[in-house]
Amino acid sequence: MLTILIVIVAVLGVPLLILAVMYNLLISRRNQVHNIFGTMDAMLEKRWDLVPNLVATVQGYAQHEKSLFENVTQARSRAMAGQMSHNEMVQYDNAVSQLMGVFRATVENYPQLKASENFLHLQRTLNELEEQISAARRAYNAAVTDYNNAVEMFPTNIIASMFNFERKTLLEFSEQDRQNPDVGKIIR
Amino acid sequence: MKTLDQLRQFYDTDLRRDLADFERQRQKIVSHSMIVFGVLAGAGGLAALLLIRQGMPPVFLLFILIGCVIIGGVYYYIAGLDYRSGFKEVILRKLFAFVEPGLDYLPGQGIAQPMFKAAGLFLHHIDRYKCEDMIGGKVGKTEIAFSEVHAEYKTTTHTGKSRHTEWHTIFKGLFFIADFNKDFHGRTVVLPDTAEKLFGLFGQTLQSWNSSYGQLVRLEDVEFEKEFVVYGTDQIEARYILSPAMMEQILLFRREVGKKIYLSFLGSKVFVAIPVQENMFEPKMFSSVLDFDVIAEYYAQLQLGVGIVDELNLNT
Repeated sequence: MLTILIVIVAVLGVPLLILAVMYNLLISRRNQVHNIFGTMDAMLEKRWDLVPNLVATVQGYAQHEKSLFENVTQARSRAMAGQMSHNEMVQYDNAVSQLMGVFRATVENYPQLKASENFLHLQRTLNELEEQISAARRAYNAAVTDYNNAVEMFPTNIIASMFNFERKTLLEFSEQDRQNPDVGKIIR
Repeated sequence: MKTLDQLRQFYDTDLRRDLADFERQRQKIVSHSMIVFGVLAGAGGLAALLLIRQGMPPVFLLFILIGCVIIGGVYYYIAGLDYRSGFKEVILRKLFAFVEPGLDYLPGQGIAQPMFKAAGLFLHHIDRYKCEDMIGGKVGKTEIAFSEVHAEYKTTTHTGKSRHTEWHTIFKGLFFIADFNKDFHGRTVVLPDTAEKLFGLFGQTLQSWNSSYGQLVRLEDVEFEKEFVVYGTDQIEARYILSPAMMEQILLFRREVGKKIYLSFLGSKVFVAIPVQENMFEPKMFSSVLDFDVIAEYYAQLQLGVGIVDELNLNT
């Protein structure tokens, strides 16, 4: 009787245990992705919060770029309104990154602005944030790669398809970051 | 940091005079020690002969020999004490002040054990800790400090009634601390990679199981991943510190030094440990101190520490 019980436990229990381990692995990797995304989201928001300061600092010096600043502010309000999906967020993030490029290029034409204490402080904060965001993007991509590996590799892919774990997209930012920004196109 | 050519000039114009005094002292100590050894050997040999003639077993010859070596060694050590400390205080201090004027040299001090432990690079408990030859101050805008450190633990084995204690080195070499130009809250450690080199992908899995240093941080730089394994308390912070440019600099530094390197980033400080077998910043008794190569060796030892500032681009 005891032997039969042990056999039943072994036959049912061991596969269940394996199933649970694989399921938990997928969950923990997905949570890691969400966790890092959450931190990145907070950093991006911090950067968005700097946009009004940026506009206020630069506006006085660069009157003829007024429309650009207005567009930046509008884009920011659009971004802040409502929840965004991961991909939308990435798009907006890229748009802001490019705007930062424009900002730097604009500043080059105004030596007075470059020397102002307010601007220098802003620039330091921005640079710091840029570095943190870049680290967060790399961490996000690493977490997504780990998660995608688990979703696609045998034997966890079986559990992934059973419980609808879907592949996530990596952030592709470096190529776009390197391009010259076309602000009109991004924020219109 | 001054170049080797500038050092040669300084050696010719300034240092050589002081070195000449120390060279005389060194020769005196060596020749006196030789005489003491000679006398001891003579007296010991005579005593041994007499004792053997009187029927003592030849094993006494061995005791006498050991006794002579110990007495000679103690004499040599004591006779050289003043010379060694004087050499460090005068020559090395002058040399280092010339090479890097912002630095101060304190031969008797070193990086304290709590600081060494706090870096979190070597987790083994320490039973014996020695440190000396502290060099600290500012290089450019960066505050640095480094010293020689030797940390050991002991194991004791009991066989019957006898107890045998053995000392094992945890770390011996140069331990360096500097201000890092980024602010962070957690800890990130960069260790030489052995598991991944040996076992490839399986090695990486093994590393992910080792949680004593924190979470495994997998970085995208393949070359860097081959050389190092990174653990951290925060995945994002680790990447914030180890930017692609920083990884490249660490790799270059590793290749330039040609030794294993350990790095830890904690509380806005960077800790670097470089294992070195030889006793650094020590005057040599059996080669002339007037030889420029000897001076160049101290320069290289100093450069190993000071060079980290440039290698890791800490002055930004």
